[in-house]
Amino acid sequence: MNKYWQIAKVRMQEDTAYSAWYWAGTVSSILRLLVIYYFWQAVYSNRSAIQDIDLETMITYIVVAMLLQGFVGGVGQDLAENIKNGNVAIELMRPYDLIYKMFAVDLGSKLMHLIRGTIPMMLVAFFFMDIPFPGSVEAWLLFIISAGLGLWIGTFFDFLVGVLAFWTVNIWGVRVLKESLVTFFSGALIPISLFPDWLRVITEFLPFQAMVYLPVSIYSGMISGTEAYLAVGLQLFWLISFYVLVRVIWAQAVKQITIFGG
Amino acid sequence: MRRYAKLYWEFAKNQMKVMMEYRIDFIIGVLSVMLEQFASIFFIKVVFNHIEQINGWSFYEILFIYGIAATGRSIHHIFFDNLWTLGWQYIRPGQLDRLLIRPINPLFHIVADRLHQDGFGQLIIGLIILGTAIPQLDLAWGAVEIALLVVMIISSGMIFVAVNLFFATFSFWMIDSLPVVWAVFNLSDFARYPLTIYHKGIRTFLTWIIPYGFTAFYPAAYFIDKSGFRELALWTPAVALVCCVIAYSFWNRGLRSFASTGS
Repeated sequence: MNKYWQIAKVRMQEDTAYSAWYWAGTVSSILRLLVIYYFWQAVYSNRSAIQDIDLETMITYIVVAMLLQGFVGGVGQDLAENIKNGNVAIELMRPYDLIYKMFAVDLGSKLMHLIRGTIPMMLVAFFFMDIPFPGSVEAWLLFIISAGLGLWIGTFFDFLVGVLAFWTVNIWGVRVLKESLVTFFSGALIPISLFPDWLRVITEFLPFQAMVYLPVSIYSGMISGTEAYLAVGLQLFWLISFYVLVRVIWAQAVKQITIFGG
Repeated sequence: MRRYAKLYWEFAKNQMKVMMEYRIDFIIGVLSVMLEQFASIFFIKVVFNHIEQINGWSFYEILFIYGIAATGRSIHHIFFDNLWTLGWQYIRPGQLDRLLIRPINPLFHIVADRLHQDGFGQLIIGLIILGTAIPQLDLAWGAVEIALLVVMIISSGMIFVAVNLFFATFSFWMIDSLPVVWAVFNLSDFARYPLTIYHKGIRTFLTWIIPYGFTAFYPAAYFIDKSGFRELALWTPAVALVCCVIAYSFWNRGLRSFASTGS
């Protein structure tokens, strides 16, 4: 356990070394908050609710979803590059489980992102945009659990996409494809309850809504009570299924490396 | 000029060969960008399923703004994408020195080094959006209007190029200015919607400081009468030209003061 924690710590230090990217990211997040704010103000300019969602709830949803989406990615990029340049063969010989190592790295960078990126941005949203916190202690706890599960599902999915690098060269294209799918179906842009009926039904059967839509709905109070617990249960189901999938596909992929004598 | 045209063709031919070599990747690239754009449009569509207009702008009018931005951006994406890589592919590894001793303009060389496949997806989706929006807008389309639309789209693309070139040039002093370029590029998100929804300060900034407003909103406003921006909109090509001149002079300045990273 200790070695994985060390790996995570190294990653945290690495992330603090590149301050240019940090500032660029911060500026971009503030810009996005501004766009969101003005866009929804304009949408609500002559109405008080859209399908029972008022302006405050809507902006809360969109902002929290935007912040949460920053965590949904994972190690897919690193993994894909490792596969492409052949380093994965050396990585596999090292005395750790490569999957756990990758998740440790991911954990490190997410912790750093939380401290340096998300918390300041949350405060900005709280003070300048009047974004409220969840209504009760129960909602807070459920949100934290649900967000954690959602991010984990997102990380696993990202890993699966990264493994695709064994079969394709255009890593960048696959990533954009994945990002669009996730952005679209996870409810990061707009609450899924506003989707047209046919699409909402499809979306409810996909794992993506468990990444952003469910936790953020719990945060903003759009889902509560029994429904919220059911949502967390559904997330658990997806998490376990994805873990099994990761293990199976990874075992297959590693076999492929040996075949090519990597 | 003729020499450069011929050179560009030679560069492009090689790029094309590479693209055809990896056909699946070409398709993935095109599809991915199309899906990315489609997600944003779908977002607008879902919002408009519940309301009729935003600040006086209907769905198809917003789509029209969006279409101009997407098509303009595709020019930048297909032909000038390599500007993004100035820092990490040319300056940091010392590759730029190699270009500097060649008998052609180094900026031309960098730009011609890459023809980006994924930009074609952007172009296709941009044209689809324009094709969907325009028939719904109830405008009279003559040869003049079509010519003007083409000019506006090219100007839009050149503004994207000029802004990226300007901020990429900082790499000459800071080795890699990619984070800056990226942060500035994100400003163009504002340009997807009518600028009238924003605070006056933001509007002024996007009109006169970093003129992303001219990449989509003002050109679209020219065709949509009620907007009241027709006269300003006509300045779009001039704005594009001025931006390019400023960016290119700045580039030359950067190039003169460039001291290689050494290796």
